[in-house]
Amino acid sequence: MFNLFLAVFPEIFLINATFILLIHGVVFSTSKKDDYPPLVSNVGWLGLLSVLITMLLLAAGAPLLTIAHFFWNNFFRRDNLTYFCQILLLLSTAGTISMCFDFFEQERFDAFEFIVLILLSTCSMLFMISAYDLIAMYLAIELQSLCFYVIAASKRESEFSTEAGLKYLILGAFPSGILLFGCSMIYGSTGATHFDQLAKILTGYEITGARSSGIFMGILSIAVGFLFKITAVPFHMRAPDIYEGSPTPVTAFLSIAPKISLSANMSRVSIYGSYGATLQQIFFFCSIASMILGALAAMAQTKVKRLLAYSSIGHVGYICIGFSCGTIEGIQSLLIGIFIYALMTIDAFAIVLALRQTRVKYIADLGALAKTNPILAITFSITMLSYAGIPPLAGFCSKFYLFFAALGCGAYFLASVGVVTSVIGCYYYIRLVKRMFFDRPRTLILYEPMDRDKSLLLAITSSFITLFFLYPSPLFSVTHQMALSSYL
Amino acid sequence: MKDFPIKYLTLNMIIFLLGIWGILLNRRNILIMLMSIELMLLAVNLNFLVFSVSLDDMMGQLFALLVLTVAAAESAIGLAILVITFR
Repeated sequence: MFNLFLAVFPEIFLINATFILLIHGVVFSTSKKDDYPPLVSNVGWLGLLSVLITMLLLAAGAPLLTIAHFFWNNFFRRDNLTYFCQILLLLSTAGTISMCFDFFEQERFDAFEFIVLILLSTCSMLFMISAYDLIAMYLAIELQSLCFYVIAASKRESEFSTEAGLKYLILGAFPSGILLFGCSMIYGSTGATHFDQLAKILTGYEITGARSSGIFMGILSIAVGFLFKITAVPFHMRAPDIYEGSPTPVTAFLSIAPKISLSANMSRVSIYGSYGATLQQIFFFCSIASMILGALAAMAQTKVKRLLAYSSIGHVGYICIGFSCGTIEGIQSLLIGIFIYALMTIDAFAIVLALRQTRVKYIADLGALAKTNPILAITFSITMLSYAGIPPLAGFCSKFYLFFAALGCGAYFLASVGVVTSVIGCYYYIRLVKRMFFDRPRTLILYEPMDRDKSLLLAITSSFITLFFLYPSPLFSVTHQMALSSYL
Repeated sequence: MKDFPIKYLTLNMIIFLLGIWGILLNRRNILIMLMSIELMLLAVNLNFLVFSVSLDDMMGQLFALLVLTVAAAESAIGLAILVITFR
């Protein structure tokens, strides 16, 4: 019985750490004796430490995966897919928290609850990745979304931020309702909520003829709800406004962490739970639309954060290619795409945070960055070229493998649309690089050097991006193992 | 007795669609949008209860109870964000 708790020890530790940090923050920040100190850096460093310890507990607990399998069969399942996805999630969260400290100092952002909410949403994302039942999936998605609504509106003085929080609430609660409707339809038509039972019931239901409209509506609604939350295209409505209006660390979180956990969960539902042509057609259509919109709409943008929002919508389109082919290579390419996307996005947002000194919002402000700060310009260029998919950077490897998987399962149209939009998208990425290196703005903006944490983070991620092509096989074999375990 | 759930499912579907239309048509009035979100979640709750009774299964009622809690938390957060927006 003790194995039950040992296997879920990382989550238990993280939840306890969250509550202890909350109590610590409340007690000490309201104490008159210490003159009401703002505890955000304190709680931030302790939060970062607890995320790293959780990752160590998770990594060291690998032998326990098989022992507690029996007990947790009801709501969660831990296997290779969840193991590596959770490690990736915790690494990204640690990276994004370490980017925030400078932001807290400069903006005089005093609320330590920001870090507590981030830790709480990380817990829920750990649960979401290992969720194996519709109930667990919905509760984890809701907990993560609720935490994000609050932190998106956390800068109370700026009405930009509170409006972004309100829009995010509406845009996030609506798909939760649709997702829940889908869950209820599937539950009503099949009587089962656990993915094992659903897999057995839904295996050949399209081929054998008796198509229950309840199941069809249920699967459709679940897919639509997921696509809303991952901001894929017909459902991306306010996403660029939200990304632009929220404080920049929150935008960084929004772009990275939910995409990782939702992709892992969605791959469980769509490949294991309900394998069939319905979901494949929806993902097909959404990925084409996302790629096209991501390439075209970003050309007209003049603000940096909106550009990054549209480029992340485009990248979600590429990642949905991995869902559209129902093969193992599809899932493997999806996981490689998510991994490289997470690293590139951490890189991009670290740079945007570093350039925050004089409120750089517009792309034109980046002019002549190469003269004032050449190494930062080179790093930014590497990140943008990796987004564009220029070989030999890491972004090219992920796109190449995604198109390869699409061709391997016969989705020729998808791969060709992907290649064409990739080429079109190169335009605005290279325009950024040109503006940094060759433009001559009217006033030269001088940026202060960035702090140690961000420079470390930038060094690690950009060196990974440049040197990935030399030795890509560890990532490939790891993701192959992950993809295999989602088929078992 | 064979079409026992259909009447109730139709009612719940109508309430759910009213909730969706309420969000899509009421962009000006945030309070009505929040109420429509509540309507959606509660319509799905009723759906779960109807299915639980007709399937004679307990998981529907369990799910409905958990969803009720989440809907309450969500509307609390929505109202809090509304308050700071209009301050």
